[in-house]
Amino acid sequence: MRLMAVVSLVVCLLAGCSNGDDDSSGPSSAGNVVPISVGESAVCRTINQLCAVITICQPGTSSCQTISEVLVDNGSVGLRVFSSVLSTPLTQTVDVRGRAVGECTFFADGGTTWGPVQVADVVLGGAPAVRVPIQVIQSTFGGQSSSNNPCNDEVDTDPQAASFNGILGIGIFRQDCGLICATNSNNTLYFSCNGGSCTGVAVPLADQVQNPVWLLPSGNNGLVITLPNVPAMGAPSVSGSLILGIGTTDNNTPSAGISVLTTDDNGFVTTVYKGRTFGQSIIDSGSNGLFFPDASLQQCATPLDPFYCPPNAVNLSGTVIGENGSQIVVPFQVANTENLVQTGNAVFNNLGGDFSIFDWGLPFFLGRTVFIGIEGQSSSLGTGPYFAF
Amino acid sequence: MMMKGQRQSRTGTGYSIDTITVAGMRVKEYVSPDGVVFAVVWTGTGMPDLQLLLGEYFEEYRKGVHAARSQRPKIRKPFQMKSERLVVERSGHSRSLWGRAFLPAALPPGVTAEDIR
Repeated sequence: MRLMAVVSLVVCLLAGCSNGDDDSSGPSSAGNVVPISVGESAVCRTINQLCAVITICQPGTSSCQTISEVLVDNGSVGLRVFSSVLSTPLTQTVDVRGRAVGECTFFADGGTTWGPVQVADVVLGGAPAVRVPIQVIQSTFGGQSSSNNPCNDEVDTDPQAASFNGILGIGIFRQDCGLICATNSNNTLYFSCNGGSCTGVAVPLADQVQNPVWLLPSGNNGLVITLPNVPAMGAPSVSGSLILGIGTTDNNTPSAGISVLTTDDNGFVTTVYKGRTFGQSIIDSGSNGLFFPDASLQQCATPLDPFYCPPNAVNLSGTVIGENGSQIVVPFQVANTENLVQTGNAVFNNLGGDFSIFDWGLPFFLGRTVFIGIEGQSSSLGTGPYFAF
Repeated sequence: MMMKGQRQSRTGTGYSIDTITVAGMRVKEYVSPDGVVFAVVWTGTGMPDLQLLLGEYFEEYRKGVHAARSQRPKIRKPFQMKSERLVVERSGHSRSLWGRAFLPAALPPGVTAEDIR
């Protein structure tokens, strides 16, 4: 069924999909939309987990495959796909000595991925393919294992346990590491492997795993995530759009009243909540809830701790502040997580939990259109990195 | 501490902070007046060698990571493990990973978790 849907989309694009309204001055916007959803797939099944379908091709060929159940994560940068779901041969990247390059990627949830860095042609929605280094997630790459590897941490082994086939990292940076990894071999992320041993290696910017969006021929200045809201007790699923580009077509043009919050060099914003200021705040579609510290909110019993379980839903609000001084008040609600989980629904706008730093996860994106500006790329909203909503 | 890099010390708050900066990573070690490292905080593009930083607590951390990864329902949240002996947290995103570890029982008088940043 999924394959048929993709095929019909392609046919529709070739046919124009224009509703007969061909005289608009802007370029066609249909090609820059990647459908995204929560709760509509089998592998990508975690509560509030945003997923998409992408296409990967062997570089320079028409040998392609679609990969479903890819986590849409603006908290990371670059595409990562499990080797077990890949049937398309890709091109291995090597260091100056010709040794295969692999990478450790560390995620805030304690997850770590290890595997080779390979070049693929990646197709997002109906946009042209971009040639980009990605990470193939493979715990055994370079003679390593899930428990014994250069990441010095337990790494992901399979899609079922990880609950995704891949991760589409569409964060505010161009590369996942940047200059540090281009100039230091002890960057702890990139390694080259030979005869079962892997050692740290510097990797030029162009060979690093990177955000496919900024490599697009157009619409490369950022992206938009737009999702509808859900009722107080959640919904079984929700569908929205990941739109490529900002202000480049009719469908990604910011409406009046959008405020731009630039981030600091590290991609962080500041959140003020109940009079406390939290630097290093993140806006992260890959986090499944809203995480922040509030001792007045009752926590759930095991195994749902440290999620919040107030007897009744509470109305709260935080102020998000950019490096540029702009601020936006964000009202939100936190409900009883036990009651939410019991509904069997998959999407909630009021799922919260305890953490020491403010993390605006997926609930923040529900009922909102969020513009994410990529570093060094300009749009009508300014030069990235920024968030605007 | 085996990491090579620039090292700075700051004292005068009832404890001292040693800061080591190397390859895009900054590691702060909080040292009590009697020489006990009671907390570490790291920020940067990569991950410090936690086996080195956590020493005898590293295995406990690994078990905590394993437990967090195995938790069901699987809901993605910043990593947090809390016991009376050890607290470890991870957050951040690509380019800027953040984490801290501290020993709740070893915090000097007047020092709270909020001071460890």
